[in-house]
Amino acid sequence: MRLFVIALSAFLVSSAGAADPFPSVAAKVNPKVVKLFGAGGFRGVANYGSGILISADGHILTAASQMLDSAEIVVHLADGRKMKAAVLVTEPILDSALLKIKVEGKKLDEPTGLDLEHFDYFEAAKRPKAQPGDWILGFSNQFEIAMRDEHFSIQKGVIMAYTKMHGRRGVFDFPYQGDVYVIDQITNNPGAAGGPLTDRKGNLLGIIGKEIKNTLSETWMNYAIPLAAEVETKDGDKTVTLSLPKFVELGMKGQYKPVKRPETVASVGGYHGVIFVPNVLEKTPPYVEDVVTGSPADKAGLRADDLVSFIDGEPIYSIKMFHDYLKRTSAGTKLRLEVRRGENLQTVELTLGEYPAKPLPAKPTEPKK
Amino acid sequence: MKLHHLIPLPFLALLGIVAALPRSSAVDPDVVKAEKERLAIVAKVRPAVVAVCPFGGGGHGSGVIIDPEGYALTNFHVTADVSPVMSAGLADGILYDAVLVGQDKIGDVALIKLVPKKEGTPFPFVALGDSDKVQAGDWSLAMGNPFGLSTDFTPTVTYGLVSGVNRYQPPAGGGTLEYTDCIQIDTSINPGNSGGPLFNMKGELIGINGRGSFDKRGRVNSGVGYAISINQIKNFLGHFKAGLDTDHATLGATVETENEDGSLSEMKFGTILEEADVFRRGVKPGDKLISFAGRPMTSTNQYKNILGIFPKEWRLPLSYRRENSRKETLVRLMGNMDTPVDRPQPMQPRPGQPGQRPADPTKEKAKRSPAFKLFKEKKGYANWYFNEVEQKRTLDAFHKHGDFAGLTGAWAIEGTFNANDRKGPLALAIADGSDGTIDAKLTMNVPFAIKMPTAERLQLQLPDNSGGLLAALTHWRRLLTMGEKGFTQGFSHGGMEPVYPPPADGKPVEDWAKLRVDCDVIRANYAGIEGKWYFDRKDAKLIAAEVQVLRDEDPCELYFSEFKAVDGRTLPHRVDIRWGDKNYGSLSFTKFDLKK
Repeated sequence: MRLFVIALSAFLVSSAGAADPFPSVAAKVNPKVVKLFGAGGFRGVANYGSGILISADGHILTAASQMLDSAEIVVHLADGRKMKAAVLVTEPILDSALLKIKVEGKKLDEPTGLDLEHFDYFEAAKRPKAQPGDWILGFSNQFEIAMRDEHFSIQKGVIMAYTKMHGRRGVFDFPYQGDVYVIDQITNNPGAAGGPLTDRKGNLLGIIGKEIKNTLSETWMNYAIPLAAEVETKDGDKTVTLSLPKFVELGMKGQYKPVKRPETVASVGGYHGVIFVPNVLEKTPPYVEDVVTGSPADKAGLRADDLVSFIDGEPIYSIKMFHDYLKRTSAGTKLRLEVRRGENLQTVELTLGEYPAKPLPAKPTEPKK
Repeated sequence: MKLHHLIPLPFLALLGIVAALPRSSAVDPDVVKAEKERLAIVAKVRPAVVAVCPFGGGGHGSGVIIDPEGYALTNFHVTADVSPVMSAGLADGILYDAVLVGQDKIGDVALIKLVPKKEGTPFPFVALGDSDKVQAGDWSLAMGNPFGLSTDFTPTVTYGLVSGVNRYQPPAGGGTLEYTDCIQIDTSINPGNSGGPLFNMKGELIGINGRGSFDKRGRVNSGVGYAISINQIKNFLGHFKAGLDTDHATLGATVETENEDGSLSEMKFGTILEEADVFRRGVKPGDKLISFAGRPMTSTNQYKNILGIFPKEWRLPLSYRRENSRKETLVRLMGNMDTPVDRPQPMQPRPGQPGQRPADPTKEKAKRSPAFKLFKEKKGYANWYFNEVEQKRTLDAFHKHGDFAGLTGAWAIEGTFNANDRKGPLALAIADGSDGTIDAKLTMNVPFAIKMPTAERLQLQLPDNSGGLLAALTHWRRLLTMGEKGFTQGFSHGGMEPVYPPPADGKPVEDWAKLRVDCDVIRANYAGIEGKWYFDRKDAKLIAAEVQVLRDEDPCELYFSEFKAVDGRTLPHRVDIRWGDKNYGSLSFTKFDLKK
């Protein structure tokens, strides 16, 4: 009997110790994640990211980031193997992308013959969602710390909230409008997007999101997109519900059709037709050099040498501020500009229009190093 | 139109949700137990945590005491601005004077020593852990004085996970502050935590916190901090205690990742410097690097990691493959710093409150501190005072095995030799001439003779293929009988280095690591010849020497063994000699006649 008591207490101790076996959870998760390398690398845009293996064949679920905007994505597996991958499909509205590892001599839709450790996405998506107060673990290749067979970073945190994400910086920057896990740990560092958020036992809960800043509080958000995320959106004129599981299911079969979104013009705002002086300084004052003939600016009566000083009462000090402000507008928006013309301040009503045929490039071009 | 209010916060919603959470009535006993244990650990280590301040006080950085004498570890980037004399606050609220002892600019580590208020009073200290056993996912505690928050030096405690191990972070300031093989943590560290301890959940010191990844989030915790591993620091600790301004090392060879685009990578030697030891060991471009210092090498980061954790001149085992044969050898590391770096560029994280740096009057006041008595300036050293302390400690301990100070007369030693495929009787005679020269004669079937210090360079290498045995034995006699006075320059403590006495049977070595003995090093130069003398740290016996007769050539290596007492003094009765990769042979001493 006494022996039994000792054995029992030994069991209790070991089970208590086993409650937080984070090193073994890390070891269990690590083979199921991949380091991704793609486009970017210039200021502020990481050319690396994190991904989650969701099939033995090499399907990778990750965030829909600019990094994927590359002809070819390089993948480092946990065992150090370096492989290539192609983007199967991206759905910005779900902030998700599906990739597949490419094996030489095989077509993308053929089985790769790989037998990789992976998360069972569909099983995980059926589990009840985690609750505020629950512990979570975040896994990612933030800051590109790991290469090849080096391990992903593991971080511990607590779910602060399960809530709707309506923070955004313009439609192009952050199109996801669904539910998110908000996390108290700083998980959303450069390159962390696409890594798995798991519970304390390493069960998949979500996909770590991108770096976004709350412009009201000037704080960075740490969030993850839940596996069963659903978002209502407009597809042309109809309202449709997109779901992440459906996206993954159809995407893996090559049958997913991304929703038609309004032209990316939205990100640069409505069309004005002002041509500013060359923007050579960090804060080049918004002097008008010229206006496009027939453009809204022309119609509003703006002319060369005008200095834009206020838009709707907000002071505008630089060309950049002007453009930033305009991003929040769209065709049809009416703006009240105050411009300095000679010695006087003039008020000009500007009604923005649709961009002419060719929209401006929505992304910054890569500067020469 | 309210265009600027498009970004509502989700946090308000969140607060409501958290408040509405159902509360569990009973707390799991395991949780209570874990909390108690955690508090006990914090209470245990807290007294040894240091707030490192400019002399006179003020927020700056952190540190931790590692022995009762008051030696404490911190970051170089913390001491750089406040050396050599600074203040150190402990959790008891008392501000102690402290002095810089040794430093590692590249690795961002400094050793300081606190001066007790009453001589001989022991300091609280923490035990060093084994950072090679740390795993990603382990819990950890960081302690220190972030933001200079604590004016009474009570350390702040943060608690989090080890996020990764064996991390590499490239140099951050002019070649300094390279974090190799470091520990990545999500445990919050902020400016002012620099130099502070990272503990495992046994309360053992596993690292020194010093850097973070910040990117666009500013110099505060970003969930990604780095600690220098304690095992790296252990490699340098002997150097620090000897007041050295240490250098890191290179192999003197480039190592490339082969088939970069292939599946698994292999490491291959590229260019190899001719003056590098690895070149003399016969490694050639194209050879595959298999393992180094006991670690398999499969990536550039791993290679940089392993190189970064050792001081220069250490010898370490290296395995490489040429075609189908695997080769094991010992390689000496070359120095890294061509031009000494004086101070780091802007640091991360930067110590808090730079406005409180000492003004000149403070420096003058610092000179009157008792800690200033523990400081001697000398070029190339962090603090020469401690080098003298270590010289004395090492030689005093050695002299317990026998004092040879009076025996400056003629030395005659008889015995046998087995070298260069020959055997026979041996006679060694070393005696000072009247004109200050030394005549040394070694007869092993044929006589070899040199006159020191006037011998020609090539003569000094006698006997052939020994690398300079006769010159080395001359140095040996001078070291034993005269100590520092017997050497013209460079007599100093060289910190701690490993030595690998070769097996007595002369068989090829398969695992050098098993032979390793850690030794205190005394460096001494006579007649333009540099010698390094190795004293076993366990018992202070002189077990080996390396005497470098010609620059950029292999030194003559002597391994002393079979120690027996002769007239109350312990003397080796066997000396094994190696030169380069070869055993030259062994000498057996049977009769000593050491005259006064």
